[in-house]
Amino acid sequence: MMNDKLRTMIAGARDLARDRGIKASINYHHENSHLMRIGNNSVSLNTSEELTRIDIEVIDGRKKGTHTHLGELASTEELFDIILKVSEKAANSAEMDFEPVLTVIESNVELQTQYDEALDHLDPAVKERVYSSIFKSVGEDYNYSGSWSSGSTETFSVTTANNNYVWHRLTDQQFMCVLKHPEKMWELASWQTGWKAGDIKAETTVEEFKAILPTYENHAGFKVEPGNYKVVLGSQAVGELMSMAVWSACAGRTWEMKMGWTADKKIGDQILHQSVTVLDDPTSDQIFSEPLSDSGMLTKTLPMIESGKFAGLLYDRNTASKYGKKPTPNAGCLVMQPGSGPADFLEAVEGIDRVLYIPAIHYMNIPNMSKGIFTGSSRFSAVLVEKGKIVSPIFSSRITDQFDNIFGNVLEISSKTTSVNTSNTYGRRNPSAVSVPTWMLVDDVKITDCADSF
Amino acid sequence: MSIFSELKEAVTRNIDRMTGSGAQYTDARWYQDDSSEMLVLLDGNLEGNDTSVESGLGVRVLYGGAWGFAATSRTTDVDSCFDRAMANAVSASKLVKVRLDMGSKLGHTGSYTSPHQVDPIDVSLSEKVDFLRRVDESLTEDWILRRMLRVQFQRMIIHFWSSEGTYTMKKLINTFAHMTALALDTDHQMQRRSKTLVCETDGTRGWEMLTNPALWSGHAERIKKELKEVLAAPELEYGTRSVILLPGQGHLQVHETIGHPLELDRILGYELSYAGGSFVNLDSFGKLKYGSDKLNVSAYGSIVNSPGTFGFDAEGTPERDYLLIDKGVLVNCLTSRAMISEANQRAGREVFTESGGASRSTAFYRAPIDRMTNVNILPGTDGTLEDIIKTTEDGIIVDNPTSWSIGSNREHFHFGCEIAWEVKNGEITRVLRNPSYQGHTVEFYNNLSAVGDKSTWVVEQVENCGKGEPNQVMELGHGVPVIKFDNVISGERK
Repeated sequence: MMNDKLRTMIAGARDLARDRGIKASINYHHENSHLMRIGNNSVSLNTSEELTRIDIEVIDGRKKGTHTHLGELASTEELFDIILKVSEKAANSAEMDFEPVLTVIESNVELQTQYDEALDHLDPAVKERVYSSIFKSVGEDYNYSGSWSSGSTETFSVTTANNNYVWHRLTDQQFMCVLKHPEKMWELASWQTGWKAGDIKAETTVEEFKAILPTYENHAGFKVEPGNYKVVLGSQAVGELMSMAVWSACAGRTWEMKMGWTADKKIGDQILHQSVTVLDDPTSDQIFSEPLSDSGMLTKTLPMIESGKFAGLLYDRNTASKYGKKPTPNAGCLVMQPGSGPADFLEAVEGIDRVLYIPAIHYMNIPNMSKGIFTGSSRFSAVLVEKGKIVSPIFSSRITDQFDNIFGNVLEISSKTTSVNTSNTYGRRNPSAVSVPTWMLVDDVKITDCADSF
Repeated sequence: MSIFSELKEAVTRNIDRMTGSGAQYTDARWYQDDSSEMLVLLDGNLEGNDTSVESGLGVRVLYGGAWGFAATSRTTDVDSCFDRAMANAVSASKLVKVRLDMGSKLGHTGSYTSPHQVDPIDVSLSEKVDFLRRVDESLTEDWILRRMLRVQFQRMIIHFWSSEGTYTMKKLINTFAHMTALALDTDHQMQRRSKTLVCETDGTRGWEMLTNPALWSGHAERIKKELKEVLAAPELEYGTRSVILLPGQGHLQVHETIGHPLELDRILGYELSYAGGSFVNLDSFGKLKYGSDKLNVSAYGSIVNSPGTFGFDAEGTPERDYLLIDKGVLVNCLTSRAMISEANQRAGREVFTESGGASRSTAFYRAPIDRMTNVNILPGTDGTLEDIIKTTEDGIIVDNPTSWSIGSNREHFHFGCEIAWEVKNGEITRVLRNPSYQGHTVEFYNNLSAVGDKSTWVVEQVENCGKGEPNQVMELGHGVPVIKFDNVISGERK
């Protein structure tokens, strides 16, 4: 945990900058990260990193510059020297046709409601024991791989706009285990997420694997012919699709630049099925908290899609300045509201002859953002379901469709929600998650290709 | 005592300490300087003016057949960094089925500096901005809705020590650049044409690379002309036809469907939970007909100027020029020392004789993994692009990706491209928009029907290849000629 000396040092550098007339923001980011990677039933990497970064932004009229310093800083003077260099960089920059805006922190914030000391200092041996337990319980003849990232993120931000600050500390973890049959080559996966040490449970993964294993063990793969299908998308697939669909629809910069699939739409237009509602909701316990927007406002719950209608555009401070709009107090915490369907998707499809269940979509990309066309392929535990019974695993199948078709042809949505961890570990630790229904049944989904293998 | 001398003393002392504590192997990378700069000019506005400086130590210990890794940005923290790496290795060794082994190598010393005339990090911001503004002006037209220029410069000074007595020092310089022009077509869809800075194979990697008009900025007029043609073009219709890939597209095809499936850690299953696996297995080498006889693929390729050229890999192994695919047959892959040791152990025979020098890490705080270096399709004997067009009855020529999506074992793929030129009976007939194509990797490469000669060969740069957990971004290159594939499904099914 950062000490008072560090806070004093950062505040002191801010004051020196302000005295010189420099408009600056200073963001301290400290991570304590651990990741255990599993491959071939072994720990293939056991790694820990403790890193401190200082991000500095300086605005000079219509010019700006930013700099990130990774490393320890010993004094206010040392930090101020860096601010002076960034200030010089901003001064030598080029004027823009709009005025960049300095973050103005609305009020002091001290937040650590999602911090767990036990997770921050989790003994790697705990992870090793959980994986070992899964291997033994499900069967050691299978090939297992996976990863378990855990750690803490601590940030402290100030700007020269006022004396307010925000201090935020949280813990997070993301667990994954993949089971692969060594000869038949199919793969099953289990994901878990949370911010407390006890959130990840071996038995959860064991139960998931044991529930689907007989289908995979006893049936050959089914090759899906290209065509339109009823598809149940699992939570990982819904989370990724919803995130891509909503960001390419509702990000203010994307909309203003006419880049997204809602470029010709206006607020209030019906763009998706009436059962689809998505909020930017920092209050949900299923996402990782974010106390301030990038403009410094305390975050609030904002509607983005309301009963299928285009309900909101999100503006960061500079996009707002460029396009003459007000910045929005958004958190970037997407929450898709549940429906009224049963918790178990098999109950929902009892009366349907043939449905594909696709829990996750691998390597999704957007060939045409103007039309909202995406493509990606099925992976992990995907099955063919007939009249509510799992019939067979399916080979790797490609979906190439449009966001407004997928979220426009919704037939039913689960009444149960779950958290999908969307964090990556590129660069700094930056936990993020979305809350989505556990499944969504969609009509007329385009399957455009299928491999001869899993 | 200089910082280098202090670090060297502390690192070598700790390496000896780890060996004394039972480590099979220990290495350490000190990034003395890892500086980068990114400038983004959007519609003439310098919206991105970002720099970063990183410095620190990464330590890797092999104990009981398992890796432990730790990193610190505190140069006063060397002893405890080694201790944490050892503790992680000891902890990992409790759950190991196949015990890793680095084999044994004699220590060596060496150094490498990327060829460059002017270190781009040292060029003044005003000179950079002036240059970008001139390029931006050459892209500006009333009908162009968005103009985006992005340049990135890197300078890394990396010292490496191992318990075998190896010491290497690298100074790596990279220069990347992209320009993109966007405009709305007749259906209000945003279309784009772009150009990425490419390498002169015997050129240099400094500021001078960016300012050579032939490599980047001189293409502004061409991409404007082509974008205008796309705006009024009909959409590519779904069907099966020949597809000719220009290097701007072909390099990504190679990257995704030859480079990634041939990373040995991926073949052995160490990427399953993130990037995926590979349809290639240890029995494939020497047997799998990956492509037609026209397909010859090399690693590294002795390309002097490329981000995939770095002298020594993250284990101190010198870069090595060798074939991955020989006349269509898979013969080798991208390897590091521990992975070839495990592969040979698993296969019960010597599948691989020596490391391919492909162990790389993106930063001091990431452990090395198997990565691409330069993965290249070697020039063929089918002449120029014009010669290949003349032999094409029904096809399209495509350039530059808009999207890429690959199956988890790299067995199938879908690419979207910026532009297509229709070819009928040996002639280009018209431009088409929204082109895409898809295929199954082995079938696709076995339908390789023409490979352009040296005049069509271009070394393209990739600065954002993602892999590994914790995630790592890596820079590399692909030398690729014009390549033609027959019987390819292209366009989108209605």
